[in-house]
Amino acid sequence: MTDPRLSQLAKVLVHYSIAVKKGDWVRIEGNCVAEELMRQAMVEILKAGGYPMLRPSLPGTGYILYKHASKEQLEFIPPSAVVEVEKLDCRIFFWGGMNSRELTNIDPKRIAISSRAAKPLFDKMLARISSGALRWVGTMFPTQSAAQDAEMSLEEYEDFVFRAGMLHKPDPVAEWKKLSTRQAKLVRVLNRLSTVRITAPDTDLSFKVKGRRWINCDGRQNFPDGEVFTCPHENSAEGFIRYTFPAVYQGREVENVRLEFRKGKVVSAKADKAEEFLNAMLDTDPGARHVGELAFGTNYAIQRFTRNTLFDEKIGGTIHIAVGASLPEAGGKNKSGVHWDMVCDTRKNSVIYGDGKPIARNGRFLIP
Amino acid sequence: MAACIAEYSMGIEPGMLVLLQTEPSGFPLVREVFRHALALGAHPYTRTHYPDLDEILFTEGTDEQVGFVSELTLAEIERIDARLVVRAPDNLSALASVKPERLGLARRAQSKVMERIFARKASGALHLCLTQYPTDASAQQAGMSLADYEAFVFRACFCDRPDPVAAWRELSGTQERYVDLLSTVKELKFESADADLTLSVAGRKWVNSDGKANFPSGEVFTGPVEDSARGRIRFDIPAIHSGRPVSGIEIEFENGRVKAARAERGDVLLQSLLDTDAGSRLLGEVAFGLNYGIDRATGNILFDEKIGGTIHMAVGSGYPETGSKNKSGLHWDMIKDMKQGRVYADGSVIYENGKFIE
Repeated sequence: MTDPRLSQLAKVLVHYSIAVKKGDWVRIEGNCVAEELMRQAMVEILKAGGYPMLRPSLPGTGYILYKHASKEQLEFIPPSAVVEVEKLDCRIFFWGGMNSRELTNIDPKRIAISSRAAKPLFDKMLARISSGALRWVGTMFPTQSAAQDAEMSLEEYEDFVFRAGMLHKPDPVAEWKKLSTRQAKLVRVLNRLSTVRITAPDTDLSFKVKGRRWINCDGRQNFPDGEVFTCPHENSAEGFIRYTFPAVYQGREVENVRLEFRKGKVVSAKADKAEEFLNAMLDTDPGARHVGELAFGTNYAIQRFTRNTLFDEKIGGTIHIAVGASLPEAGGKNKSGVHWDMVCDTRKNSVIYGDGKPIARNGRFLIP
Repeated sequence: MAACIAEYSMGIEPGMLVLLQTEPSGFPLVREVFRHALALGAHPYTRTHYPDLDEILFTEGTDEQVGFVSELTLAEIERIDARLVVRAPDNLSALASVKPERLGLARRAQSKVMERIFARKASGALHLCLTQYPTDASAQQAGMSLADYEAFVFRACFCDRPDPVAAWRELSGTQERYVDLLSTVKELKFESADADLTLSVAGRKWVNSDGKANFPSGEVFTGPVEDSARGRIRFDIPAIHSGRPVSGIEIEFENGRVKAARAERGDVLLQSLLDTDAGSRLLGEVAFGLNYGIDRATGNILFDEKIGGTIHMAVGSGYPETGSKNKSGLHWDMIKDMKQGRVYADGSVIYENGKFIE
């Protein structure tokens, strides 16, 4: 029997997030553990007049490829993939598998061979996304594996995931439209600011944001969603921050990260666990020590940290500041192979200032 | 694996009533053990344990319901000849949000069942065996793909060898020799770059854990004389408690008691566990891990404490069959790699670089 929240999720994704129209080619990708959600998405795509193209992957096959394939096999791009990247109108990604550590023992160089070979396709896809020709959304299908990482039972985790998507409400699409309108107002206010200063325990960090665009993330590319972000001026960050939640990157966890910024650059990076990994990532390339993103998490249905950036960076009342690559749509100019979102809890003993005046206190905005 | 468990570990014989208990994902192993048990002339029957139902019981049941033990359970314990428990978790965090008091309530209620189980086991009337079926959840905990983890479990069970049962009999014989040797020893001294610890095992009984009660196994253990441990030691393999790792534990012992302890990670948990009760600062077990098919830590004590070339010591309660007198609500194993260490028995070297000197 289908969990009614799965059919709700499929409706929101197809009719709200990517808004499938008649004739659209819609590719659905994900581990077949999400098969029921794939069926429900197929129903909604057909109702909208689109052409569903199902691409379920089998558990363990990613590992088999990286373990046994030759260099040529790793680099292989099927001709059909080239056609699809030119023609697809929409893509839906269902994240979540059977084992979040499946690739832990695979040499990252082998993964990089595949990524390099797929880069032209990836760039083409990014270009089509930014021109509006391709719409995409990614969501998390709740699995035992992700529940284990979140330290929850599957039933609890399903409740957590579906509540974060407001799928327990009678009309989730209406809820997301409301959130979108609310965030649009917030963005208009933030767009007028020249500086932002964040204060919290062991944190006092300022940025110049003048002329940069704030973006309203309202559930169209990530689902669930709920954040507004911009890319501050690359050389403007001054001060220090302590990230209260563990910073998770490529399956590695760094605890109690403390960064100090001078003229936009990280000049000191300390942590209680995996400090070496933190510094190695910051030394990846020149851009990795600069801020690529400054964002407010605005989804107040997410309260708990679950070791999954999709949810963690949206926890209502938190901020996240990413080091590494910035996003051109917000006016960011920082380039890097790294984009690492680190989340800081600002729900207690925190004030955020815009042009010197308080704009948020203890995780709640003081402006509409 | 099933043949090994049925013939070697459980020693199934004609007419025996055999309970095979598993979580849903362990079914493939139970199916094969069932088949072997039938072929051996026994009466096997199965029970599937659903962890999801435990969660419902613990969160939605009344205290009375959580603490309930049926007379059927008690009657069954008196009647069965052998029981296999197959661990096959789908989610190691399934009970993470259940209040500890509720789990304690269920544990206390189960204690009268456990008492009867151990009494019948001690009399030789009941054989118990615990094993692990490889699942994605355990692979994830170990930081491996399922394929790699399966290979790891099969190596640990000697199931990669041509005749696993013969391999287990050989291990049993080897360990018997170590037990004979250790039984003559009064004092053991553990020495390495980060250990210098002496303890007495005089008059204590060493147990040969050879894959019958735990499968896989591969360790010999005893309970040290309670007030004898002195010196310092660093346990370099993370010690897991209630799913949380405590790593880089350094302990200083004096008159058998933990005098000072610190951990690089999880120090708060370490300190609170050591303060559990009067017995939790004394050693209840000292053991040698002798399964050389296990070559790495995976965060699962069933495997970790048996890694060939390690020793482990447990703070808290000891096993009465070893002569240990220590009582505690805690029994927590801490493991040390001895591949660059030595063990002296009454002054002469008996163990060097992870192996007994033959």
